[in-house]
Amino acid sequence: MAKAIMYDATKCTACRGCQAACKQWNELEAEETKNTGSYENPADLSYRTWLKMRFTEVENGNGLAWLFTRRACMHCTDAGCVQVCPTKAVNKTDSGIVYIDREKCTGCGYCVEACPFDVPRLDGSRVTGKAKMFKCILCKDRVDNGHEPACVKTCPPGALDFGEREDMVAKSEARVAELGDDALLYGDKELDGLHVLYVVNHPLKDHKLPVNPEVSPAVTLWQDILKPVGYGVVGIVAGGLLLNYMVARARMVKAKEGK
Amino acid sequence: MTNHWTDVANSDYIMVIAGNPAENHPAAYGHITDAIERGAKLIVVDPRFTRSASKAHLYCPIRSGTDVAFIGGLIKYVIDDMEANPGNYNMTYVTEYTNAAFLVHPDYKGPPDLDGLFAGYDEANRTYGKSKWTYLDAGSTEGNIIPVLYPLAEGGKGVAKKDKTLKDPNCVFQILKRQYARYTPEMVNKISGAPVEKFLEVAQTFAKSGAVGKAGNILYAMGATHHTNGAQIIRSYGILQLLLGNVGVSGGGIQAMRGESNVQGSTDQALLSHIIPGYLNVPVHTDATLQKYIDRVTPKTGDPLSLNWWKNTPKYITSLLKAWYGGAATASNDFAFHYMPKPKSGKNHTHIALFEAMEKGDEDKKEKVKGLMCWGQNPAVGSPNANQTLRALETLDWLVCVDMWETETSVFWKRPGVDPTTIDTEVFQLPALGSYEKEGTVSNSGRWVQWRYKCADGPGDARADLEMLNDLMLKVKKLYDDDAAAPNRDGILSLTWDYAAEGEHVDPRKVLKEVNGYYVTGEKAGQLVNGFANLADNGSTSCGNWVYCGCYVDEASLDAFENANKAAMFPPDNMGNRTARRWTADVGNAGFGSKPEDGYKPIGLYNYYAWCWPANRRIVYNRASVDLNGQPWDTEHPVITWFGDAAGAWKGDVSDGGGKAMVHGGHAPFIMRSEGVGCLFAPNLGTREASLADGPLPEHYEPWESPLDANPLSATKNDPVIKIWRPEEQSTPDEYPIVASTYRVVEHWQAGQMTRNSSWLVEQMPEMFIEMSEELAAEKEIKNGDKVVVWNTRGEITAVALVTKRFKPFQMNGTTVHQIGMPWHWGYSGLSTGDSANVLTPSVGDPNTTIPEYKAFLCNIRRA
Amino acid sequence: MTHHEVEKYSAGARWFHWTITAAALVLAITGLFLYVPAFSSVAEGGATRIVHRIAAVIFILAPLLFFLMKPGRSFHFIKEIFSWGKDDLAWLKAAPDYYFGGDEKKMPPQPDMNTGQKLWAVVAFFSALGFIFTGIFMWFLKDTLSAGVFDWMVIIHDLCFIVGGAMLLVHLYLGAIHPRMTESLKSMVKGKVSAEYAQSHHGKWYKEVAAREAAAKGTPGGQGKQQAH
Repeated sequence: MAKAIMYDATKCTACRGCQAACKQWNELEAEETKNTGSYENPADLSYRTWLKMRFTEVENGNGLAWLFTRRACMHCTDAGCVQVCPTKAVNKTDSGIVYIDREKCTGCGYCVEACPFDVPRLDGSRVTGKAKMFKCILCKDRVDNGHEPACVKTCPPGALDFGEREDMVAKSEARVAELGDDALLYGDKELDGLHVLYVVNHPLKDHKLPVNPEVSPAVTLWQDILKPVGYGVVGIVAGGLLLNYMVARARMVKAKEGK
Repeated sequence: MTNHWTDVANSDYIMVIAGNPAENHPAAYGHITDAIERGAKLIVVDPRFTRSASKAHLYCPIRSGTDVAFIGGLIKYVIDDMEANPGNYNMTYVTEYTNAAFLVHPDYKGPPDLDGLFAGYDEANRTYGKSKWTYLDAGSTEGNIIPVLYPLAEGGKGVAKKDKTLKDPNCVFQILKRQYARYTPEMVNKISGAPVEKFLEVAQTFAKSGAVGKAGNILYAMGATHHTNGAQIIRSYGILQLLLGNVGVSGGGIQAMRGESNVQGSTDQALLSHIIPGYLNVPVHTDATLQKYIDRVTPKTGDPLSLNWWKNTPKYITSLLKAWYGGAATASNDFAFHYMPKPKSGKNHTHIALFEAMEKGDEDKKEKVKGLMCWGQNPAVGSPNANQTLRALETLDWLVCVDMWETETSVFWKRPGVDPTTIDTEVFQLPALGSYEKEGTVSNSGRWVQWRYKCADGPGDARADLEMLNDLMLKVKKLYDDDAAAPNRDGILSLTWDYAAEGEHVDPRKVLKEVNGYYVTGEKAGQLVNGFANLADNGSTSCGNWVYCGCYVDEASLDAFENANKAAMFPPDNMGNRTARRWTADVGNAGFGSKPEDGYKPIGLYNYYAWCWPANRRIVYNRASVDLNGQPWDTEHPVITWFGDAAGAWKGDVSDGGGKAMVHGGHAPFIMRSEGVGCLFAPNLGTREASLADGPLPEHYEPWESPLDANPLSATKNDPVIKIWRPEEQSTPDEYPIVASTYRVVEHWQAGQMTRNSSWLVEQMPEMFIEMSEELAAEKEIKNGDKVVVWNTRGEITAVALVTKRFKPFQMNGTTVHQIGMPWHWGYSGLSTGDSANVLTPSVGDPNTTIPEYKAFLCNIRRA
Repeated sequence: MTHHEVEKYSAGARWFHWTITAAALVLAITGLFLYVPAFSSVAEGGATRIVHRIAAVIFILAPLLFFLMKPGRSFHFIKEIFSWGKDDLAWLKAAPDYYFGGDEKKMPPQPDMNTGQKLWAVVAFFSALGFIFTGIFMWFLKDTLSAGVFDWMVIIHDLCFIVGGAMLLVHLYLGAIHPRMTESLKSMVKGKVSAEYAQSHHGKWYKEVAAREAAAKGTPGGQGKQQAH
């Protein structure tokens, strides 16, 4: 059954227990960071930072808001990364987890470019091409053993919840109804349903969440059109050559005999 | 906390002021989230738009150090509204449960009369004579004014005169009204910079909690206490909450959010210089005998309605002496009272005073401080005026640092810029176990004493504090034993100390049992005492801390509910250890017959989860949560309910003091006060109830370092009795016009040893930073992320500028004041290093507690 | 009939051809592993991507080196493959029957590079440019490119692969398998073809070669060389 994380931004205090718990459970090394004039750090996701909180200060007619937004894999149903992965190293589990099997990963990085949420990251070198892809795998090891992901487990203000996706959707909808006004649920329908649901009460653009996330048309063109066309062209050519060989050989033999 | 964390979820209105729970109490903050989910309104008042403010329904900024002005404004609003719309308030509570109706000494004068001062100011000694700060005794006649002041004058009844119409100009209510009449919204703005409309919005919102059945909660932390008027700020919360009928009720009260997991426990066990365990006053040199001590500190009353719980002081001090001196404490030798060390009366032994004495030598004895034991403390980072602290450490012959890590204090002799060869201090670093590497109890903000188990072995030679302490004391005893001429040799040798042999493991249960107390004579000798009501003043009981009595009992003393669930409730190695209980069903106080089938309405008391002092009472002053008939004001959240005359008539929580409902002859609700009621006006009654040093009512004074030239309220600019150690170091607004405050961030912990050595946390908060408004940054040509220097008379620090919309300049009726903020976690040792904010904080203290002024001081800033 | 051979490809040309062929084949095969899911298990772990990059370097360096060493020959070659005329039309008309084993007399005499070979060279030329251009982007500029641009780079790279790959198949077939192209492979290995083969497959060119040979007979050190077996 599909599982999902529910992230309630209206309850999140950005204490970043999730960020530390993610590193602890997944044994990810710390990055060397600098304070660049923000609470936010590390500056970006990386092969050893699979989850980070984004801090945004928004000031408008309603006053000041300090928004916190979870940044990690959204575990899309229509997942661009899964579509483009040449070796099927990025794959979907029955729980809806977009998993990365690093044994299979070639480090091509197509997934990095195919992700509408800019999540997958490569380690290693771009130059040698010796690399692997890293991202949140929804603590698949924990989930497979009946536990919630480490981030959910640790969340002190109860901004994260985990369970059957349909339960999480129902809970999120109830929460949105309770909050009223500008509250909305993000992730229920996007990309055929994300497995990380967001409850927010500020505009998506303030949270820097893509309003209509979609897998790039290039990915579709490539996967659904170009590849079949390629197989077709090569097939036709190969078939033509075989036919040519048989016909040409037969005619030449005949011509020789006829001499 | 008057209540406890779980109960916060029952609040209707929550005002977080001088605290930032989302940042500094992240786990407990979940209870606030729960409250909001149940419909509570969250108000955050803070100089800076904090993580907590980001979750609030209503945020109001105030300049650091102006809390009394802000709360005073709220008090004025409530009093005015109360007179206009008494139906919106619980007037029975105000007249019956507070001292609003009490008449005050007619010679009492306050700031409205004396331009900011209270009656009795002695300018030469910077102290108050407090003889007029008291009630008018009911025995007074025209022409013979008798104050309620012990020892009572001839004819005194020990009861105040009252006017329950609250009309008498000398009644507390009218005095309160007069005191705060000056605190108009405009004045609040002029002092604090809170916009008038925001202030009014807060007032209108929070005043709604005054309605019967509604609960308003005030949560505060070090933002209130770390001020030269910290005690008065807390008092102002008390006044507001009493007026609104919020004390004692579920979802109400005043919650001190403790900044460390066991800081409540350390206070309970008296890790302070002015009290001994159980909040008993420390004996002083004038207490020649136990009786003299008892007479000095035991409150008395002539009021038949008052239970005056502190009248039991003789039982508690005697039992404490029995715990400490055992068989050496007998009735004939004053229970060994003479062995107790007794500091000079009025002498200050708090933090700043200690480090000043270290640097300059003790002012009385003219002796130098030879050594210092820093036990889990890092004063090189945490002390105010950190440069002074470091100079003081250099004078020591020896220093012992007991900690999990090398701290700035333990390596002060090789800090940057110092030549180690010039420092003669011998430093010992003793590696200590972390809290998860040993077992024992931790007491949380809500007074819950919780047993913790060890979950991992510690590294290397690290040992439990308790074991190190045991070895140390055994060695000290040996030294005294060997030296017949040692001072107070008998006192040291008589001290009971039978925890374990030197080098052996010490079972903390043994200590906890000693704290709980034993019967020492009679047929019960050797049994644990089940509750402080059983303690005696004749030496038949011992008790290391009376408020903890009942936390650890014999199996035979378990109550009916515990007995019925004995196996599930008590692990075999903790039978009778109530702090180890983990009963997650909310059954109220089932021992008193409050099971759900008896009609108990669960409000989250969890009486069988861990143990709570006093007497497992989860909400103190809970007698104020019911009307005179013993019926709850708030029927949705009944804390206790009176069910007639039968035994166990109170259901719900453990009721304060037992007995009957007031109409049936029961006592008044505030049993820890000799008047039996809550004090809007804090009188000097001549016992331990001696009012505060700086007035019976909170009055706004500017912080010692103020950006203003004058106090907008009166000619008295600063609190006239604050303790100032280094007047020459005062930073003035001409050179240092910017207000600064220190605080913590969620990613780091106190002086930083634990977190600045954790790479994952350093990654999140890598560097020391200074938060400032965009307006100030523009004025000083500072860009976000620039390195900046902040300096004042005490030193300078360099850090990263964090320019934010979350700080705004304060517009105070035409005056603009800038404030900056900085975390104080950094120092020169560890994985992440940086300058210490406390280089900038001054050596001034609250007149009552001498807690340092960490939250309001002046500085200047420039781009590095 | 005198059994003699004529030089078709110089040693330099052959080195160039085989180097770039090897690189192209390696590139094609390692690329194929990423392209065809059925082969993807070979690519697991990413070793083939390293090989792909090494081959890519050779694929780029080989023509550059050839160009530097033989600039004249290179220009001539490029000029030649882009020179199309009436003869090419005639070839196109005759080619289907010819290559399907029809009467070889119906194919007009061809120069050293016939229209089909030119066609292949043009396709190879453009797809190589496409590969190199998009490949450099995919290799070095991943971080600077927007995801959308990157996706298009991959698509163009693949498009080159489809077109170039299909033509490569044709080239391999014609060069090594087609029953009529008996000496094509040999020519690229040894550099020479029999006079008969030259006459029947590249009649126009052979005429020139033969003329040069005849002229050179009396002139020692002349260009034409022949060997009797």
